[in-house]
Amino acid sequence: MTTTPSDLVQGTLDMLILKTLALQPMHGYGITMRLEQVSNGVFRVNAGSLFVALQRLERAGLIKSEWKATENSRRAKYYTLTQRGRKRLDSEEKEWERQVAAIARILEAS
Amino acid sequence: MSVRSMAAGLRSLFRKERAEMELDEELTGFLEMAAEERMKEGMTRQEALRAARLEHGSLEVTKEVIRSATWESFIDTCWRDFRFGVRTLCKSPGFTAVAIITLGLGIGANAAIFSAVYAVLLKPIPFKDSDRLVFIEKQNQPRGWTRNPISPAEIVAWRSESGAFDDVAAYQEKSCVLTGVGEAEEDPCEVITSNLFPLLGAVPIRGRTFSTDEDQPGGPRVVILSYRLWQKRFTAEEKVIGRAINIDGDSYTVVGVMPSNLSHLYASPYGAVPELWVSGIALSPTTVWNDYFGIGRLKPGISLQQAESQMDAISARIEPMNPDLKGWRAQLMTLRRNTSGDTRPALFVLMVAVIFVLLIACANVANLLLARGARRANEFAVRNALGASQGRVVRQLLTESLVISIAGGVCGLLLATLGRKGLAVLAPQVLLRSAPDVAVAAADFRILAFTFLVAIVTTVLFGLAPALQNARPHVTETLKETGRSSLQSPRSRRLRSTLVVCEIALAFVLLIGAGLMIRTLAGLGHVNLGFNPTNVLTLRVPLSSERYREPQARAQFWEQAVSAVETLPNVESASVSRGLPISGWDGQFFTTADDPNPPAGQVPDANYVVVGPNYFRTMQISLRGGRTFNDHDTNASERVVIVNEELARLYWSGQNVLGKMLQIGGAGPWRTIVGVAGNVLSQGPDAGFHSEMYIPYQQFPWLMDGPKHLVVRTSGNVRPETLVRSVVQEIHRIDKDQPVADIATMEQIALEPLAQQHMVMALLASFAGLALILSALGIYSVLSYSIAQQTREIGLRMALGAQQGNVLRLVIGGCARLAAIGIAVGLTAALTLTQLMKVLLFGVRPTDPFTFTAVIALLAVTSILACYIPARRAMRVDPIEALRCE
Repeated sequence: MTTTPSDLVQGTLDMLILKTLALQPMHGYGITMRLEQVSNGVFRVNAGSLFVALQRLERAGLIKSEWKATENSRRAKYYTLTQRGRKRLDSEEKEWERQVAAIARILEAS
Repeated sequence: MSVRSMAAGLRSLFRKERAEMELDEELTGFLEMAAEERMKEGMTRQEALRAARLEHGSLEVTKEVIRSATWESFIDTCWRDFRFGVRTLCKSPGFTAVAIITLGLGIGANAAIFSAVYAVLLKPIPFKDSDRLVFIEKQNQPRGWTRNPISPAEIVAWRSESGAFDDVAAYQEKSCVLTGVGEAEEDPCEVITSNLFPLLGAVPIRGRTFSTDEDQPGGPRVVILSYRLWQKRFTAEEKVIGRAINIDGDSYTVVGVMPSNLSHLYASPYGAVPELWVSGIALSPTTVWNDYFGIGRLKPGISLQQAESQMDAISARIEPMNPDLKGWRAQLMTLRRNTSGDTRPALFVLMVAVIFVLLIACANVANLLLARGARRANEFAVRNALGASQGRVVRQLLTESLVISIAGGVCGLLLATLGRKGLAVLAPQVLLRSAPDVAVAAADFRILAFTFLVAIVTTVLFGLAPALQNARPHVTETLKETGRSSLQSPRSRRLRSTLVVCEIALAFVLLIGAGLMIRTLAGLGHVNLGFNPTNVLTLRVPLSSERYREPQARAQFWEQAVSAVETLPNVESASVSRGLPISGWDGQFFTTADDPNPPAGQVPDANYVVVGPNYFRTMQISLRGGRTFNDHDTNASERVVIVNEELARLYWSGQNVLGKMLQIGGAGPWRTIVGVAGNVLSQGPDAGFHSEMYIPYQQFPWLMDGPKHLVVRTSGNVRPETLVRSVVQEIHRIDKDQPVADIATMEQIALEPLAQQHMVMALLASFAGLALILSALGIYSVLSYSIAQQTREIGLRMALGAQQGNVLRLVIGGCARLAAIGIAVGLTAALTLTQLMKVLLFGVRPTDPFTFTAVIALLAVTSILACYIPARRAMRVDPIEALRCE
């Protein structure tokens, strides 16, 4: 089963990217792979949406980038979470949990 | 937008290639990694790359998606659209030139008039917190008098008792003769309170202003010079401070020099510009001599109305103390408003007129754009087929329009610069006085901003409708028709007709405005003033030096001067007078023997004119009864007076007034009426009659300071200007130190009140002419275009037997319908809009039937002429040709 990321709320993709980068700096393709693996193939982010989101996050100062060699000795742009990004991730995670809990309560009630 | 995003955007905007390369490398890497992943599953490299591209979209599309998500891409597209627009426009230079010039005329007219409006009405006057400064005069509502000078009694009371002001200053206008510095010269001067300049926040460039102990009539005599006088008479010497100069025979010490930009911006624009300010103002709480103007600085937060009602309460309290104060109340206006004079309505009318011109220009350009859009239908259809959204095409077209209007704006600024020079020539003295920089053709940044703003608004006005119309996608129809002239949709035809109707309506209103002004001035030109201003030379001889202190000395001077001038060749007659009609007389109260004790506040008043025996002959004022003055009316003979018909009608209606008695100024001798003079329109052709009393100058004492003007009528048709030299020579022969001022012909003086109407008329007539030409062009272009479109239809009709006459009727009929609707709309608008210019009109109603009929005829004829040329072309359509070409 695949869900295209366009089905996601915009903020969700940003949060997922931030979460992914919280582990370690990654390049664009790494982020897609990681999202796909962890979500068991539910989220497949296409390049367009991914890079638009990365550009947005970088301009907001939540991540920063630098060119580095990959393990296959290719040059790739690696994205790292900044201090601000970490804070944002924290607050977004909390907000998300609150909302999920609320939705769950509503679903259970009916 | 955050600063960071702004910086990142600017970086990628200016280092576009590098940003592009990085993005390219990153995306390629991404796709290759995706492919490698698939190759691990056994795909060939080729298959893997294809699969990756399928999943993630092509490299170029993805790049476009990423790029367009940023704000700088918007700017980038604008810039590309802009360059594309410039290229497209350069390809059709004819269209571009016409559009730019049309808009340039519209924008230029707006910029020029706006600069005048700004300079006169909006620009703050250069004083500290100038919005709190008010000009203080008084009005007497029961008697219908407004804007009267105030008296010391009122100044003192208002200053000390009203809590509305931080401070109140006062000044008195007069003229001073300056001697001992080169040739004797008379200069306008003002007697001022010491707080006037500090109150305004005006600081002298040399020396100081007056101190409070110099504020008394008996105090030290000190004087402040204007910058101009300092430069001209004292060659800007530094040592002028402390120097003693002679003013009206008294010695004054120079204590300061005011800066040049002070000019005179606190006073009325109708008075003279003072060159000297002297100390010693007499403000006694018991004097009710109305010869002063006040300037107050309101306390913060106090409104004009609050101040006025406070002052009214004080006036009501002091009123019983002196009958002359009866009925008088304060009249305040902001200093800015006072210095603008009565130019407000004229400028307002002109501003509306130029907006109309601009709208007509916009309608014309919109029409051109629509026609051009129809020709470019293929281009838009192709873009549409290739995936451009309607919005994208509209944006492209609007950018093109913006290019046109910016070019039009630049063209307009150049025209405005020329226009301002023209304005300086046309502008009446009042306008130049209240805003000297109207004449300065410097590009103020506000004017630039205004022009730019107008250009932007214009773009939307003329560009939006055609852009929306042209960008409507009819891909299939248009592309199918390739090679044929595309058909005009009914929608587009309606739009163009509407634009033409609007143009005609706007032009109609402008023509009506111009017509009413022309009628006003034509009417005023024929008004009988009650005297004959042609061939009369006037000049002022102040006689203010020491040797003319006694009235006898003055009378003797005038006797000599008049008889000397009368013997000059080409002089028919000469006389003297105190004041001249139109340029201004002073009023005096009087009582009649029949009603010697009128209640306070109802004492009759009349213009007080001291004249010589030949005055009535020289001015050609008719005598309705009795006699004129002669040399037997002296100090020794019976005191006499001549009144005008208006005074006789008001106070002795229906009776014989000869022999009646009156007393002038509440004291002095009783005078017998010996003659009745015809009425004179003494305040200009558009004001009514006033009571007048004429006193022979040989009978002293005079109230006020006696005659000052010499009036000379030339014989035959000799131009009065040619006599100036010899008349001045005669005066200098009597007294070589006597300055002569205000040399003018009576005709010039009579025209001055109409200067503003002349300016409005000249400008409105030019704008209306421009509007007429532009709308004729509009009709012409719309009709030519629609006939070109209808060639096949016309050909078909003629092939089926229609005669040339039928075709002509068809075309002219369509055109006449547009003109008729336009005129009807214009008529309705004009009927309400002309009410706005009522104040500028005289002798015509705003709904003058003659003007309306003439303008309807003019517009109808112009419209028919404008469509006659295309109609003739339609008539000559060759049916065979027309049908073959399709």
